[in-house]
Amino acid sequence: MDIQFLLELMINGALTGLMYSLVALGIVLIYKSSGVPNLAQGAMVMIAAYLIWMFAHLMGVPIVFAILLAVVSMFLFGMVTERLLLRKMVGQPTIMVVMLTLGLESLLRGLGPGLLGASPKSLDLGLDMMPIIIGDVFINREYLVGGIIGGLMVAGALLFFRTRIGTKLRAVSDDHISSWSVGISVERAVAISWGLAGISAVAAGAMWGSVQGVDWTLTALLFPAVAVVILGGLDSIYGVFVAGLIVGILGSVIPGFVDPLVGGGTRDVVTSLIILLTIIFRPHGIFGREDIERV
Amino acid sequence: MKPFTRWLASVAGAAALGLGGAAQAEKEPIKFALLQDFTAVYTFVTNEYHQGQRDYLRFVNETGGVEGHMIETIVRDTANEPQRGLEAYNRARREGAVLVDFFSTPVSRAAVNRVLDDEVVMITALHGRGDASEGETFPFIFPMMATYWSQSTVLADYIDQHQGGLEGKRIALVHIDSPFGREPMPILKDLAEKKGFDLRAFAYPSPGTEQSATWSDVRRYRPDHVIIWGAGGGQQVSVREAIRNGIRQENILSVVWLAETDARNVGGNHLKGVKRFEAVGTGTDHAVIQDIMEHVIEPGHGQGSASNVGTTYYNIGVATMAVAVEAARLAMQEFGAPLTGEKLRDGFRMIENFDARGMMPPITITADDHQGGGYGRVSAWNGEAWEPLTDWYSAHQDIVWEEIEKDAAGFREGR
Repeated sequence: MDIQFLLELMINGALTGLMYSLVALGIVLIYKSSGVPNLAQGAMVMIAAYLIWMFAHLMGVPIVFAILLAVVSMFLFGMVTERLLLRKMVGQPTIMVVMLTLGLESLLRGLGPGLLGASPKSLDLGLDMMPIIIGDVFINREYLVGGIIGGLMVAGALLFFRTRIGTKLRAVSDDHISSWSVGISVERAVAISWGLAGISAVAAGAMWGSVQGVDWTLTALLFPAVAVVILGGLDSIYGVFVAGLIVGILGSVIPGFVDPLVGGGTRDVVTSLIILLTIIFRPHGIFGREDIERV
Repeated sequence: MKPFTRWLASVAGAAALGLGGAAQAEKEPIKFALLQDFTAVYTFVTNEYHQGQRDYLRFVNETGGVEGHMIETIVRDTANEPQRGLEAYNRARREGAVLVDFFSTPVSRAAVNRVLDDEVVMITALHGRGDASEGETFPFIFPMMATYWSQSTVLADYIDQHQGGLEGKRIALVHIDSPFGREPMPILKDLAEKKGFDLRAFAYPSPGTEQSATWSDVRRYRPDHVIIWGAGGGQQVSVREAIRNGIRQENILSVVWLAETDARNVGGNHLKGVKRFEAVGTGTDHAVIQDIMEHVIEPGHGQGSASNVGTTYYNIGVATMAVAVEAARLAMQEFGAPLTGEKLRDGFRMIENFDARGMMPPITITADDHQGGGYGRVSAWNGEAWEPLTDWYSAHQDIVWEEIEKDAAGFREGR
């Protein structure tokens, strides 16, 4: 076996996985507070990337400020989405709420390209395209930065849940009725979690938009992100980090060795198997709580 | 016009083209159905392509139409879904469309039997079935430009003629893992045997946003040349990964789907030297584009942003309609009005050495050959534009036609 090849696949896979974690984090943040698996997170990533592009290229704002403006915009977008759409669904069956997020995904997927043009847009974060080379191992610099940001976002989310607002969110995630009874505004907590998911979408949109350009295909990031949250546990931020690494590494190493033998196409199979096997053998994921309701 | 307004205008349904030529209003219009994917997979190309088509047809109408008949377009969004495409097709047919362009491989493949039964002409430029080049089996389907098979032979031939020959070389085909991505495989395999080079295919999963593992493997193969076979955002990822893995730009060759947008998105000057198959000339320095500028763009009647005029995909759109209008003109001259699908088919088959006044290779369509000769050329990105490196030519059409006939026979036999 070519050890250097294996090493390269593992490193780049781990970094890619952490970039998937950026998408998955938004799903977990919302699920933790409201019990809603947000299937619109991939589309939110796309909208965030379009916003950064719009601020930077159409309005001429420097890229750093464009990202900051997108953070504010997406936080507000998340809160408004919760207020206008999700709050009306209180008391409705979970499946209806899931369908609502699916409808939101479809709407956003058409809206971004419809408003700003469908051809792929360039999002240049100023990162050097050339890889870091160690021996015969090439490490993708963009993935390295994305992976670091993914790790930092997860760490930031963990720290946030230790703050006063974060503690309220944890209480809300534990029990809505008890939280209400002690004076916590559940609606506000859920809205904040949607806002935070919007911020997470900006980080994902910036990094993935830089790697692949900005167009509708960013919404396809939902699939690996769903694998990450199912494997890690729908309500676990630790899980986002660990499962991101596992999904990324397996999704890189297995196709790296198997694709040449079977003619390609195994990465999506690997991702699908991760989802299926986790649901069959450990439905609450590695770090998820066992009382989580299946959806 | 803002993109959203333009988009709405595009998908809003039937749209009459042009108010010009009111004097001939009593003549029955010719209806072309442009039922395309404005909102899903082909969005990287559809807007510019469709804009080129509409601007050209507007130009035709502004200058008297086809033998005095205006051309009306029926425009609907299929979202690349065969069901929606067929529904839109049925409506368009009832409304009198004699030509349909889905510009989507899945939708046009699903519509093959319908258009053959209904005797409606379907153009499939740069998409659809390669074997539809065989006119006897597919009498109403016209690829009318080089199929993917012909594109692969031109690219391989370019390496053979201009990059030190094919013999003993290692050629990597890095492709999206889809039927489109695998399309050139049988042709390149035949060529590898014939020319004595080593061919290895590397697939990456759709939509091609993440290809790092694939390219790690490509690098270890140490290819002399890499042919990339994808579309949309996946293409720029391929180019970036190739460069990142030490493959020199001049050794990267692409299927037709690599355009100005990709150059911008790859960033910097990284695309400089990368080559591609070219089906239609780019830029505004063509007589037909100049006419569109004068009669449509400058008076403010353009379908979209004027900055798109002359881009790769815009010009391809123009070329498709130039060929279709030429076919309609020949059919009307020969058979008179009203134009039917059958007459239009015969009009296509009368096209001889038509090159849209120098913008595209001269194509000749016959009852047997609906591809038009399989011509194209190789161009390279010079940092600002696509620069032709060769004249228009075709290569190894014997191998291409073996494949066409084999697959067409399969269709006839229901395989």
